[in-house]
Amino acid sequence: MYGFEAMTFNIHGGYLEAIVRGHRAGLLTTADYNNLCQCESLDDIKMHLSATEYGPYLQNEPSPLHTTTIVEKCTLKLVDDYKHMLCQATEPLSTFLEYITYGHMIDNVVLIVTGTLHERDVQELLEKCHPLGMFDSIATLAVAQNMRELYRLVLVDTPLAPYFSECITSEDLDDMNIEIMRNTLYKAYLEDFYKFCQKLGGTTAEIMSDLLAFEADRRAVNITINSIGTELTRDDRRKLYSNFGLLYPYGHEELAVCEDIDQVRAVMEKYPPYQSIFAKLSYGESQMLDKAFYEEEVKRLCLAFEQQFHYAVFFAYMRLREQEIRNLMWISECVAQNQKSRVHDSVVFIF
Amino acid sequence: MEERHLTVDQEPPQEAAEVVNRREVRLEPGAEEKLVLQFMDSLNSYLSFSHSLSSTLGQAWMELASARHSMGTARLNTSLLDLKFHPASTTLKITECDDDAKARFVLRKWVSPEEVGEDEDSNSTKSSVPADDDDEAVRRERAKSLSVFGILIPPKLRAAQQSFERALETLVEMANMQSSFLNSFHQLHQEVEDNKE
Repeated sequence: MYGFEAMTFNIHGGYLEAIVRGHRAGLLTTADYNNLCQCESLDDIKMHLSATEYGPYLQNEPSPLHTTTIVEKCTLKLVDDYKHMLCQATEPLSTFLEYITYGHMIDNVVLIVTGTLHERDVQELLEKCHPLGMFDSIATLAVAQNMRELYRLVLVDTPLAPYFSECITSEDLDDMNIEIMRNTLYKAYLEDFYKFCQKLGGTTAEIMSDLLAFEADRRAVNITINSIGTELTRDDRRKLYSNFGLLYPYGHEELAVCEDIDQVRAVMEKYPPYQSIFAKLSYGESQMLDKAFYEEEVKRLCLAFEQQFHYAVFFAYMRLREQEIRNLMWISECVAQNQKSRVHDSVVFIF
Repeated sequence: MEERHLTVDQEPPQEAAEVVNRREVRLEPGAEEKLVLQFMDSLNSYLSFSHSLSSTLGQAWMELASARHSMGTARLNTSLLDLKFHPASTTLKITECDDDAKARFVLRKWVSPEEVGEDEDSNSTKSSVPADDDDEAVRRERAKSLSVFGILIPPKLRAAQQSFERALETLVEMANMQSSFLNSFHQLHQEVEDNKE
């Protein structure tokens, strides 16, 4: 019954909720970011991070460091936290936690298929895959010539199998088909995750509906902006939008016909939650749109921790950690390229 | 130069003074000063282009980092680059003119595979072919070049591509300026050596 989770949640979820709240307390603060932004080199960044939860992961890395190394090692921290929580979780929390990784699984599938199309070595591609999205038969993706084979040989035994029904064709894989496949899979995944959360009900459904609806709306805006000037038709663009969210269905109809950033802005400003995002941008400019969306997302994710006895805290923690790793990546790039004046262009403070 | 060189070879040694006089008569008044000015102009242009290249490349790398931040490292990394054989969309032609022994670098950008075999003489007078942003073929070639990272790519990656393009044009201009001032220096040096004789 909604509102009575306090009676039963802690039986199975109490330990892990305490764990994830402890992890949340370990996220970097504004003071940490101020110190990192003043670093002169990547070794300085490593030294500052040694006092944080990333310390054990970076301490054995030799100099000179690269930005990709910092990102990889920080990602290992996220993976370790996730695996600990997953192995302690019972149903339905374990399924909920697995849902969180399906996005990375889709990215890995597309990476392997695209790399194989470009005649790259499979081992090289596997090293670039996100660890949260790995599955046993992922290397077999390299032998598939079209989507039907992709499904039949590999993906039928993975959690992504149900998402393939809309994009199974015998057409050979090319860059356009792969892009459509990626977005169709992600759309199906988001809708499935949304339905799963609705089935869980209670506070989880309430908070996750808001977070996933925001994700779906952000995807719709990004697909629209990125497809301007490409060969993607309006109908194909409309088919990639998710069937839920604040913009569904009328916002999607308007976004599908947009031909420039200002038209997208005109559509989005009709929706009060997105007015503040687009108010930060000047006309014709989209460079700061990503940061504006990330800031809004972080605000919503932090609010998830204000309530207890629900699963959205796990989703919020994973996303906040990913945002933190993105921040560290950006700070490292600015320091490595000696462009520290640009640091605050893309860093989103969490606390 | 070549004409002078042949004249010197054909004249007997005892006529060397007459050759020098003839050469002095053939030179335009102020030719040395002109060469010095040309040398200084080329060097100045080279240094300007060098500064411009530094800032353009800095901007390009930051835009690429920004695109990686937006797309994620899985979507934008070196392992996605296409290793299949395909013709180059941008070519550099080096021509050496016999009259002034100066190398010229000509950049031809966003050439579609159908145009690769065409005669390039019509484009050889300019040091680089400026890309016409309204040209549908150029836009298609640019998009094709970026399609290794996907079709739905953010504007930041396109901006990075254009910045690297500008950097490439600047490099070619620098090469031409370098060729020009080295040629002027060589001619001046030759004049000085000849005057000593």
